[in-house]
Amino acid sequence: MAKLTLDDLRKLRDEKKQAMNQRDAEGKTAQVIIGMGTCGIAAGAKAAFDAFLDEMDKTGVTHATIKQTGCMGLCFSEPTVEVKMEGMPDVVYGNVDEDTARRIVRDHLKNKTLVSDHIFDKPSTDIIKD
Amino acid sequence: MHATLCDLIMDLVQNSVEAGASEVELTVRETGKQIAFSVKDNGKGMSRDVQAKATDPFYSDGKKHAHRRVGLGLPFLFQTADAVGGRATVESEEGRGTLVEFRAAADHVDLPPFGDFAAAATMMISQAGSFELRIAREIDSDRYTLSRTELEETLGDLNDTQNLMLMKTYICSQEEDLRKAG
Ligand code: FES
Repeated sequence: MAKLTLDDLRKLRDEKKQAMNQRDAEGKTAQVIIGMGTCGIAAGAKAAFDAFLDEMDKTGVTHATIKQTGCMGLCFSEPTVEVKMEGMPDVVYGNVDEDTARRIVRDHLKNKTLVSDHIFDKPSTDIIKD
Repeated sequence: MHATLCDLIMDLVQNSVEAGASEVELTVRETGKQIAFSVKDNGKGMSRDVQAKATDPFYSDGKKHAHRRVGLGLPFLFQTADAVGGRATVESEEGRGTLVEFRAAADHVDLPPFGDFAAAATMMISQAGSFELRIAREIDSDRYTLSRTELEETLGDLNDTQNLMLMKTYICSQEEDLRKAG
């Protein structure tokens, strides 16, 4: 890859934006919040962040934003990721490794199904299938 | 234990932001022989008393975790420095800010791997809060710099996935260029 300048970056962004415009109109309807406390990082939150980014890019998921938060007080289940999405219950996923992050993008963000085996904070028993 | 040096660096920058810093300066320098990094902030700093305790893994201000009397940020850094015959220092003044420095021989067998700097930088820059983070990355006599404000002006919303992806690509290209030159 050639070394990019800030100007190149601006151009890239404008190109992307134009392509995105139509879908952008739908707005951001989902939020992915990753716990990046000391323990989160130690447990691999960085790999999860990276996997989210990569998988969203690959699968064309543009309706989500990624936020980082400090510790969520859930050391034992790090990396912890909260997903909020319109039309879906707010869910906290635990032990989110790279693979789980990719599944959350495909199943939760894209197909609107929960990744049940990683749900930490169960929304309600009738929503999740075992 | 943190797996890479980049994890340690991320932790330090996070500390600075959490200490209310509006300016954070990170320098990461590699030469064939040595690897060194420093984080300087204008956050709330630490009193002498807290500073003395800050390297003790069994100390925590108890604010983040009301029931957990253990803090882990700085001790990791000191532990790593100790394990590789390197050096870690903290200088802090209450109300003025903190400077943390680390250096170690690049070839020590117990030195954790460096890690993916482009990914780490993307995360550090996009973390929540309003602050300026300036990163200077150097290998031998070559360097590049990043500024959070500048990237935000160029890209817009730093939580937008497209923008995050672009930022990572941008930083990757700087890293690649630096590695080639260095
Ligand atoms: S450091 Fe583990 S939840 Fe806060």
